[in-house]
Amino acid sequence: MAVSSSTGQERPLRFPLSRQRRRVWLISLIVLIISILGVVLSWTNPQIRSPLRPGLDFTGGTQIQLERQCSETCPDLKAIDIQKQLEIISQNNENMKDLPNLSSARVQLLDRGQSVVLRMPAVTASEGQALIVALEPIAGPFVVGGQSVDTIGPSLGGQLLRSSLISLLVAFAGIALYISIRYDGRYAVLALVALGHDVLIVCGLFAWLGLISGLEVDSLFAVSLLTIAGYSVNDTVVVFDRIRERQKEDSDLPLETQVDRAVSATLTRTLYTSGTTLLPLLGLILFGGATLFWFAVALATGVIVGSWSSIALAPSLLSVWPKQRPAGA
Amino acid sequence: MARQQGWFALILALAIAAGSVLTSFPLQLGLDLRGGTQLTLEVQPSGDITKVKPEQLEAVKAVLDRRVNGLGVAESTLQTVGDNQLVLQLPGVTDPSRAARVLGSTALLEFRAQKPGTEDELRNLIQLRAQLKSVLALNKTKETSESDAQNNQLAPEQLAEAQKALGLEGSAASELEQLEQLLTRANQEIVDRFEPAALTGKDLVTAGRQQQQNGSSWEVTLTFNREGGDKFAELTRSIAGTGRLLGIVLDGRPISEASVGDQFKAAGITGGSAVITGNFSAEEARDLEVQLRGGSLPLPVEILEVRTIGPSLGAENVRRSLIAALAGLILVAIFMLLVYRLAGVVAVVALSLYALFNLAAYALIPVTLTLPGTAGFILSIGMAVDANVLIFERIKDELRRGNTLIRSIETGFSQAFSSIVDGHITTLISCAALFFLGTGLVKGFAATLGIGVLLSLFTALTCTRTLLRFLMSYQALRRPTNFLPEGQLPSSAA
Repeated sequence: MAVSSSTGQERPLRFPLSRQRRRVWLISLIVLIISILGVVLSWTNPQIRSPLRPGLDFTGGTQIQLERQCSETCPDLKAIDIQKQLEIISQNNENMKDLPNLSSARVQLLDRGQSVVLRMPAVTASEGQALIVALEPIAGPFVVGGQSVDTIGPSLGGQLLRSSLISLLVAFAGIALYISIRYDGRYAVLALVALGHDVLIVCGLFAWLGLISGLEVDSLFAVSLLTIAGYSVNDTVVVFDRIRERQKEDSDLPLETQVDRAVSATLTRTLYTSGTTLLPLLGLILFGGATLFWFAVALATGVIVGSWSSIALAPSLLSVWPKQRPAGA
Repeated sequence: MARQQGWFALILALAIAAGSVLTSFPLQLGLDLRGGTQLTLEVQPSGDITKVKPEQLEAVKAVLDRRVNGLGVAESTLQTVGDNQLVLQLPGVTDPSRAARVLGSTALLEFRAQKPGTEDELRNLIQLRAQLKSVLALNKTKETSESDAQNNQLAPEQLAEAQKALGLEGSAASELEQLEQLLTRANQEIVDRFEPAALTGKDLVTAGRQQQQNGSSWEVTLTFNREGGDKFAELTRSIAGTGRLLGIVLDGRPISEASVGDQFKAAGITGGSAVITGNFSAEEARDLEVQLRGGSLPLPVEILEVRTIGPSLGAENVRRSLIAALAGLILVAIFMLLVYRLAGVVAVVALSLYALFNLAAYALIPVTLTLPGTAGFILSIGMAVDANVLIFERIKDELRRGNTLIRSIETGFSQAFSSIVDGHITTLISCAALFFLGTGLVKGFAATLGIGVLLSLFTALTCTRTLLRFLMSYQALRRPTNFLPEGQLPSSAA
């Protein structure tokens, strides 16, 4: 029984998308509404006043990270003790007359008290060193060379945000143009819809995290959004490619069936690819430590949401948006 | 077959080349991975200049370059960013305060003659300043010892008198702050007693430093060019023997006042050299020397950002990123072997080659690996795996339809081709936008992801294919069950 590769009998559909599409839209809609709610709540929150809680990279200021030298377990240290010490320093700061008021400084203990993170209004390099010396008696000894001091002017954060947004918009335009040429305008619009859906949901998650646990977004978060955007489009394009192939080969069938077949045919691939991309991210989440933890979480969320939008959302929207010109062009 | 062997030889040659590149060119690690300090400086418009022009930025950079070299940090880099910024990286430096001090100041050196008729005022001011300095110094040592508190204070009436003399109202600020204010004010008053600059650091040829005769402090030596030497001679001649002083002012702050003896009345101090004795410590003298040698900045700079990462924190980042990447890759390899069997073996070899090519490309271009760069690398691996998955899924589809193995493989590659190309090109478009328009972190990320995507396109379409064809040339391996479980094959083909 010789079967041609192009018109062979299809395996039964594993995922009858067109029958489920109202449910797909409902799920995406609900998640989107929750995400937008998080962003809006964050924006109207008098403490945040921005769609996401901005970190040091965007607001400017100084962050000092210190690694404590502990033999086995670190001696008990409470964040409030460091806070008090900082207040004492800022009240008796004869040596540093320009030192800002440190009572607004935020102290965090990471890795079971092994590292200390301080965030405060911007201080100069020498003041930062002086603060480290002043904290040594209560929180030390610190690991030599295990410290980082970041000071960022507020204008630099704005610049990062601006350049990221501009480059992202240019990237979107380029991708839309490419897809319009290779496919048609519908695909370009839907790829961007899927992309916007993915980025918005990740932003929503971090807006909620910012509201609930005070998590701040840094420049790595901006990088993760850029990655998610690229990943989402790549994921969606492969499904679109298969839909286009079905349209040529099953041109007698209704659009819904073409889409269903294409999605079923690429389902394994999309799940495998998402799975294999999630594996290194899982590695980062488990082994990456505090610096990369939230970065990996953002990417992993983006990969999961991205798979959903390219398996379910974008194709189901395409199936109710018939082509204006005759098919098979 | 000959064509296939050609490809095979090419891949082998590339692998050997990549291996040797990696052994001879070390990978460049970014500051976030190896430790060090990064300063971002912004050139400030001043006076008539409202917008910094490219040539002015370059001029500032040239001066800073000389100062950075003077700091003597190995492998430091200084780059212009955007229209008015400079990014300086100092690997291994974890105390940025000295670099910030040396780079941040304008270092405008001026030689000024005292205004006639201000001799008494100036003498009093200099005396007052000396008093203030000694009290301040005593107060500062007191800070640490916390004993013997009251004895070293300036008597309240003396303080009030000094404030009155300088036209400062007694304020509620702490005593130390008042003293600091007084000192600043005294310095300002001293500078006001001098004429505008007759000679500046522009006319310097070089600067050096030497220990003073008494041995405890350092002085900075200056050598002028011919024009500067003439100006200096004229300046010293004009005040020689008059009792008026020669003021040396750095960035508007008086650092030294010197008298010029009667013997120079005729010709001034000639010979084109001078010495500044400002009671410098060894380090202060060195910093001033570095600044003067580099010249003064044509425009002032402001330090926008200081990032310092200790080397052990950097090492920790490297270790964790590596473990994460390796653990992830091993899991991916196991997954591919389980799902795709023989093709999985091909994929694992192809992906190992892919990782090797990537690292060689980073070493060769060179790309400085940063934390976001590592993330870009890990994600590009995801895309490379995707390309293999796409191909193998197509091959499986064809086998399930009952096609022969060889035909399935050829069809699988040709059908997967368009979606692989589309997916990679869309990612490349965003990489290009991020690389050319983004800054710092974003650029590093875009660079590694972009290289990864290009190489993934190459390995998926050539390495995987060539290796698979090579294996298929062995009859024993040419069995569909090497690719698909028995049950999924159509009965006709089984």
